[in-house]
Order: sequence, then C-alpha cells, then structure tokens
Amino acid sequence: MSSFAAPAHLLPLSTRRRNSSTNAVVSHISSSTSIIQCNLPSLAATSSSQNPKPSKSSPFLLNSIISPKSLAVSAASCILFHIAQPILSGSDSILNYSGGGGSSGSGGGGGGGNGGGEGGGFWRFFSPEAVAKDDDPQQEWDSHGLPANIVVQLNKLSGFKKYKVSEIMFFDRRRGSTVGTEDSFFEMVSLRPGGIYTKAQLQKELETLATCGMFEKVELETKTNPDGTINITIPFLESTWQSADRFRCINVGLMPQSKPIEMDPDMTEKERLEYYRSQEKDYRRRIERARPCLLPMSVQREILQMLREQGKVSARLLQRIRDRVQQWYQENGYACAQVVNFGNLNTKEVVCEVVEGDITQLLIQFQDKLGNVCEGNTQFPVIRRELPKQLRQGQVFNIEAGKQALRNINSLALFSNIEVNPRPDEKNEGGIIVEVKLKELEQKSAEVSSEWSIVPGRGGRPTLASIQPGGTVSFEHRNIKGLNRSLLGSVTTSNFLNPQDDLAFKLEYVHPYVDGVYNPRNRTFRASCFNSRKLSPVFTGGPGIEEVPPIWVDRAGVKANITENFTRQSKFTYGLVMEEITTRDESSHISANGQRVLPSGGVSADGPPTTLSGTGVDRMAFLQANITRDNTKFLNGAIVGERNVFQLDQGLGIGSKFPFFNRHQLTVTRFLQLKNVEEGAGKPPPPVLVLHGHYGGCVGDLPSYDAFTLGGPYSVRGYNMGELGAARNILELAAELRIPVRNTHAYVFAEHGNDLGSSKDVKGNPTEVYRRMGHGSSYGVGVKLGLVRAEYAVDQNSGTGAIFFRFGERF
Amino acid sequence: MAGQLIREWTAIQQFPAATQEKLVDLLGKLKNENVNTLTILVMGKGGVGKSSTVNSIIGERVVTVSAFQSETPRPVMVSRSRSGFTLNIIDTPGLVEGGYVSDQVLETIKSSLGRFLLNKTIDVLLYVDRLDAYRVDNMDKQVVKAITDSFGKKIWHKAVVVLTHAQLSPPDALSYEEFFSKRSESLLKCVRQGARISKKDLQNFAIPVALVENSGRCNKNEHDEKILPSGTPWIPNLVHTITDVALNGKEGILVDQKLIEGPNANERGKLYIPLILAVQYFFVIKPIQKWIKDDIARETKPSWD
Repeated sequence: MSSFAAPAHLLPLSTRRRNSSTNAVVSHISSSTSIIQCNLPSLAATSSSQNPKPSKSSPFLLNSIISPKSLAVSAASCILFHIAQPILSGSDSILNYSGGGGSSGSGGGGGGGNGGGEGGGFWRFFSPEAVAKDDDPQQEWDSHGLPANIVVQLNKLSGFKKYKVSEIMFFDRRRGSTVGTEDSFFEMVSLRPGGIYTKAQLQKELETLATCGMFEKVELETKTNPDGTINITIPFLESTWQSADRFRCINVGLMPQSKPIEMDPDMTEKERLEYYRSQEKDYRRRIERARPCLLPMSVQREILQMLREQGKVSARLLQRIRDRVQQWYQENGYACAQVVNFGNLNTKEVVCEVVEGDITQLLIQFQDKLGNVCEGNTQFPVIRRELPKQLRQGQVFNIEAGKQALRNINSLALFSNIEVNPRPDEKNEGGIIVEVKLKELEQKSAEVSSEWSIVPGRGGRPTLASIQPGGTVSFEHRNIKGLNRSLLGSVTTSNFLNPQDDLAFKLEYVHPYVDGVYNPRNRTFRASCFNSRKLSPVFTGGPGIEEVPPIWVDRAGVKANITENFTRQSKFTYGLVMEEITTRDESSHISANGQRVLPSGGVSADGPPTTLSGTGVDRMAFLQANITRDNTKFLNGAIVGERNVFQLDQGLGIGSKFPFFNRHQLTVTRFLQLKNVEEGAGKPPPPVLVLHGHYGGCVGDLPSYDAFTLGGPYSVRGYNMGELGAARNILELAAELRIPVRNTHAYVFAEHGNDLGSSKDVKGNPTEVYRRMGHGSSYGVGVKLGLVRAEYAVDQNSGTGAIFFRFGERF
Repeated sequence: MAGQLIREWTAIQQFPAATQEKLVDLLGKLKNENVNTLTILVMGKGGVGKSSTVNSIIGERVVTVSAFQSETPRPVMVSRSRSGFTLNIIDTPGLVEGGYVSDQVLETIKSSLGRFLLNKTIDVLLYVDRLDAYRVDNMDKQVVKAITDSFGKKIWHKAVVVLTHAQLSPPDALSYEEFFSKRSESLLKCVRQGARISKKDLQNFAIPVALVENSGRCNKNEHDEKILPSGTPWIPNLVHTITDVALNGKEGILVDQKLIEGPNANERGKLYIPLILAVQYFFVIKPIQKWIKDDIARETKPSWD
C-alpha cells in the first residue's frame, strides 16, 4: 500500500505552461497554454477501498500525549485518545503503533501513550490496509478441519492454516445485541467477509482493536462453519466517559507535544497523586496556551448538541465529533487540519485538539529545466505580492489560498511550471512549509512563423510569382531585471517580398509596479509603437446600395499609458496617443474623400471627406482615458453583475488643423439575475436579463474615421457594420433575456440604435450620402453553442430576417 | 468663372419691341429703387426646363439644352449688363438624381455659389417645375426641404414658383384657369410643407407663381410676343414678378462661408470642451471610481480570507 507514502507531497498544486507547437499550413506557431492541475493525492490515495473516510491519514508527526486526567481519575480509562499514525513507518506500521491504552480498569496504566514515536497524530482506530494487503483472492485457503458450529478461541486456531472468513459480527455486550454493518466499528477492522487470514493476522487485528481506545474490552471469537470457513464474532465493551456539557476546540499545532513521563511503578500513593495533579495542571496550561481554532460557533453548537443528546460520552460519539470537525475543515479548504486528540474526558468538558496546519515557512524556489533548485531571475517580491495573505507564515494553510496563489502566479506568465506544495515541517511539529516551486520561462525568445499564400495568377492558375511568403517575426524579452518588465515586438506581412504593401508592426514595453514592487497599488506603464489597418464602417452603403468603394483607415503612432488595476476586472487607464491616420482606397492610394457610385454606374471621388485635414492624412495627439468598473461574476456558468465603461478621447489641439475635441462613450451593462439559485458545480444557472445602453458623443472636431457607427454584431444586431449610419452622437439600447437550456443558454433580444439626428453633424454627412437610415431596430432569437452564437435576427428597417453566426459575446 | 467678363446684354434687342419696352421699363424701376444688380438662382428637379427658362429670359442660347438628357453638369452663372444694371442668373443642375435628392448636387451648387458670388446676395429664387405634371409627390417635398435646409427658410421670401410648359391643353372637364390654379395650389402647398411654413406664416410667405412656355411653338400675339394661353405675354410677366419679389422689401440671401459650408458642427460647442471635460471628470470618472471602491468593499471574501 503505497498510499501512505503520498502525504509527503501533500497537495501538489501545479500548473504547466506548455509550448505546444501547432503546425498550420507550413508555419510554426507556438503558443503558450497553461494547464492548472490541482489534485489532492494524499486524500485520494488514502481513501482506499476499505477505508472510505478520506481524512484518516495525516502527514503530521505528532507525539501522542497522555492526558493527566486519564490517570488522575482512578478507574477511568485514558482520557486521551491517542493516535498513532503509521504513515511514515510504512505499510507494516501497524505493528509499531500502540494506542493509548483504552483499556479499562487498572487506571494507572497510562496506556503508554507514546503512539510509537514515529506514529503520527491522528486517531488511528484501525489500520486496515496493513492487513488487507494479504488479502489475495487468488490464494488458496485451508479448511478449519474442526467440527462445524463450535466456538473456537482465537489462540486455539492453527498458526499454519489460512482461514477463510465468511462472516464478521460485532457484538455489543453492554446492549447485548449485534451491531449493524453500517456502524463505524466496521470501518475499524480490516477483515472482510470472504477474506483469507492467518491466525497471526487475526491476532494482530485484535491487538489493533484492543489498543485503539474505542473499547474497554474486546475479544475475537471464531465459529466454525460446515463448509470449512469460519465466522468471526467480536464481542466488545465500548469505552465511555462521563457525560459532558461543554465543548472546546483548540489549535494545538506548533505546540510542543508533552512527552509522557514514565511513571515509576514504585511510586507511593502520594507521589502518584502529586504526579496526576501536575499532569492535570500541565494540561490546563496547555489548553490555555493553545490558540483558539477556526471552527465556527455554529459547528461547535452542533457538536454540543450531539454531546447533550448522547448523555454519556462514548468512543463512537467522539468518532462522530471528530468526523464532523474534520468535515468542516475539509469543506473549507483547510486540507491539513486534523483532529489529533480528545482531552479532558471524564470532566464536564470535551476538548478537541486540532492541528490546523499552521504555516511555519514560505519557501520560494526556482527550478531549472531538470528540476534542480537553482537561482532565479525573478525577484521574490514580484512573486510574494501575488500570494494571498493566507499563505504567509503564521496563517493556517488553506487549499483555496494555494489555488489562488497558483492562479495569481500563473497570471504573471513568467513561469512554465508552478507548484504550490504544503509539506510537513520536520523541525516544527504540526507546522507546514509551503513550497512554491517555479520553473522560469526563457527570458528572451524569438519566433518566426511563416505562411505561403498562393494567389491565383493570370488565368486563374497559380504561377511561381503568385506564391507569396508571408508571416510574422516576433521577439520578446520578458522579465527584464526580474521585475516582470517586458519588451516585445512583432512584424507581420503577407508578403515578405513586398513588405511595403501591408506591414503590421508592434513594439511594446511593459513596466509593471510603477509605484514600486512593495507598494500594493498596482499600476502598469505601457508604451507602444503600433500600426493598424481597418476597413472603415463609415463608408458603407445602406440597404439600398450594395457597392460602396471601401476606405481603409491606417493608423500608425505611439501610445503611452498607465493602467491601474483595482480588481481583476476593474481598471483605470490613462495616457497619451499620437498617431497618423491615413485613409486609402481599395488600391492603397491615399484618398481624401470617400467615393460614391453614381446612378450612371460611374464612381465619383467627391464623397464625404475622410480626414479632418482634407488631405487624406491626419496627425493628431490626444489624451485617452478609460475607466472600467466590472463586478460581473459567473454564477453556475451565467454572468451576473454589472459593467460600466467610460471612455474619453480628449484632443489637445495638436496636429493637422489643430484638432480639438472631446469624444466620449459611456457603456452601461447590467446582468440581472431573475431567479435565486444555489451556487455550486452542476447546479443550473439562473435566467438572466441583460440590459445594455451605450452612448457615444463628440464635441469639437470630428473626422469621419472617428464618427460613431451604428449597426453590426456589437452595435445593433441584424445589420451589417455601419449599415445604419455614422454619426456624431449615438445611442444604442439593447435587452436580452437568457434562458438556460441544458449546458448552454438560449436568448431573445431586441436592440435599437439611433443617431439622435446627429448624422448631419459629421462632415459630408456620410450617413445620407450612402443612403442610410440613421437609426434602426432589430429583434431576434439565438442560442449559444460553445463559443459560437447562432442567431436569427430581424431588422425592422427592411422587415427581413437572417441567420447569423458570430463568435464571442455581444455584451 | 468669377472673373468672367460681364457681357453687354445685347440679346435684349432681339426681343420683340413690346417686350423690350416692358423690360427696360422694369429695369428702370429697379434702378430707381437703387438696385443695380439682380441675382437670380434657378433651382428645381431635373428636366423641368430650368436651362430653357434661363435662355428665354436672356434671349439667347447661353446654356446648352437638349430634349432628353440633363446637360447641366454643374451650376452656370450667366451675367449680362445693360446701362449700368447687371443681371446674374445662375442655372443649376437638377436636384434629383437616381430617385433621391442629391446632396452632392446641392454641395456643388453651394460651392459654385461661393465661387460666383461670395458675400453677395441672391435676390430671387426661381423654383421651377412643370405645369403639366398632374401630381405632387414626396419627391417635390424633399427637393423643397433640401433647398430650405441649405439656404434657410427665408429664401422662400424671395422665391417665385415657375411653372413651365404652360401651353397645354388641360385634361377634360377642367378649364385652363382651373387646372392652373389647382396645380399651383398643390405645388405651393407642397412648398409650404417642405419649407415648414406654418399657416400663421402664410401671409409672410406669399409666393408668386409665374407661367413659362419655352417652346418655339409658343403662341404669339400681334406684337410677336410669346403669350400664354390666357393671352398674357409671359416674359415681361415673369420679369415683372421677379422685380416685384426683388423689391418686396425682404432681405436677400447673403452668400457667405457659413451658407456654403453649412453649419460647421465641428465648431459647435468647442468652447465648452474644458467645461465638459471637468464635468466628465467629476461626475463620471469619480463616481465610477467610487463604485469600484464600493465593489471592493462589498466583495464577498472567500471564507478562508
């Protein structure tokens, strides 16, 4: 049973960033994907077949304690359950383990409470695995060779035979009845009906039961069956203590475990009393010194209720209490918490001692490719600021905090592999060392991806000249100075032989922690050089005219801004943009005016002006600010919450024709949950009503490329991009009702977009020139299929509907 | 074209003597009122006879006309002077193109106006349509609206509705006069609607209607003047109406930069931008920041935090 070895690696939370090479066409595109793995092997491993309780093993080495109380009160048994933990002693550990003698009577015995020095702190009522391993069904078994239906004492059995057990029964002597198979006692024996055991194994089993502390007295009787098998009956007398009406839970983690002092058997009565008294005092001091535990009052009250109902405190009750307490810890992510002891029994109070898993050290390690510890480039504060407070020294380890740390560190995108492991602190019993193991990504990387496009040449047949090599060259220098600063650049073209045709470039420098890496304020400075080419939706025809010669808007410039992240989703960005805007026609010639198709079929180049300067090339500098407030969250897969975005472009009067303007947009989106639903995996998401409003306006100089366009999948669905118009001020309103269907949702929507009569305030009135309405509504239904939205939308200007497939979300 | 030499109005002599006399008379009347220049803008849908009317008034073929297609690609100004008096007539292309009122044409007209007579006034607008069209439709209203939008409502103070093809035989059961009054009334109604002249303003906007027959087959009277079916010689009548409108005491339309370029929306509100910016900062950005703070405070912390 190797399962016991597992706890050394208690919770390897790890994430791996893989470079997966996908070969598209002839190109090599490498992308980073990260997989977060988080498993709890220790728990999984220990909950082996015979042992359904996941919490039975613990990584801690705790010495067991002898409660002074147990000895002080004469007859009573040991007050402390003491728990040995065979973990580290391997599968045969059961032999080294000795329980705090729960035995009755003699009082003094003191149960030798040292749960085997190496045994560890947890109630170990049984150790099924050890024995169970011999439980090989293939094995032949021997008939008992005795007359049927006679009761045989255990020591009368033959030591050489392998007996097959056909039935096991627990017999409660106090109640005079047998115990049902669902009783917790059955968990405590590793024997199973149908198993084959030797005498030694059965003796071992009995020994385990006798020492586990649950019983005052326990025996093992066998009865022969006619078919050669045996039935086992275990008559027992359960340990009980005085009834209690108080419950206390304390955190004994990191406390030095009191070593039992060997009692001199020659002590006088007085000395003995003295000894007990001092033990009692010690224990009281121990309780006082212990820190209060995290267990909430509600659970404590629940347990108190259990105590009151029960009357006498029995071993089984304690077991239930332990299970309840541990269940709470497990449910709340305190994966290292264990109940190690019950003390103060036979008084009015039950003291539950818990080792919660206090973090004694936080270790950040870097690993090289081979997994050896090495010196990292990343500075520690960069990592430390990503770790939740709950993972710092002195806190109780929580698996959720571990996962959070993993996610946070992963979002730095600096590491190829991240592991967050809690491991027991050998030097500090009950303590946890949280190890953060990181494999850094290469600091510098460069990539070339290429693709060949074959353009049909003359006569539709590709020629040698029509094969165009295209692709992207990019480089990245990340984590400069170990402070996550990065410099990245890329150049993309569809034809390396003629790159002047369409060369897209981007050079970006990112400088996080502007306010210092220790400052909790999270501001990032970014500077970039960019260019982009987009088809202008301003020069688009209305429903009547199909062919409006397109206008391309090329932007090239530099941008510098600071982003302050308030939360993961809410942020404030402000900066300066300087750009040159060039408008071109289809054949890449600079065009100062849009073209329009004359009724005669000819094209006239005297449409609305494309730029402010009227030359086809504008230069301008403006301030840009964007504040996003987003408190949306996923509720069983459905988005609820609200999102507000305000964006502002403030012209500075610097540039061609001294552009001075104030262009602003406000977007308000509400995701209203229409039904209260229970949160949890697999639970159905609530129906959601989405209300959305978008206002855009501009005061001052407004070149046509900055006009607000109406229509399109992110404006008014059911229309093409810009099909409704281009205006100075716009208002869009939308409502969508999402109804969960199976794993996805279906929705109905209605949208309206309006130019507020401001189309004429755009120079050249492109809305009217291209015969657009300036406003329009649509409604429709749709269904979300994975990433794709399939929807049927009816546009009300023409009254016709169409089916659309779109990627991504509208809101 | 702005520097175009203003030619002597010689063609006036080709008019019949009676017409000449009346014209000279009317010009004299204008001069008496200290009006030395008369600028007439001719507008209307395509193919209604704008250019022909211009030719008729001047008395020579100054603008090319053809029967079946629009021959006026861009506005043309014809200027004639006679004894110190200058007559400018601006002929324009038809405003309707491909079933729509063409903004483009309007733009060209305006920009030409800017070239022809910047900082001068338009004294009279001739809104030309045909008499022999039976119906007034939305298109007419659109044309009127477009003119109003470009030049302002007040241009209709200076407008004359000119109905061409005046020599027609009206449909059965209608006398010529009846037909004329019905036709002009419906057109005027359309003009009023298109120009958004309310009933109250009606008195203010008394738009006269003049009839024109440009055809060479036009009936003539004993003085060889072209006459309408009613017997009135139409050229002197038209010029008379024009003079009346020119002298009706209302201001002419000044052609300035603003008129040519339309209201410049880019300039509007520019002064308020600093104020707008301040409002945005204090009443939009700040509240959103506060909301974010509230969100952070309200955020449900995980139980372990």
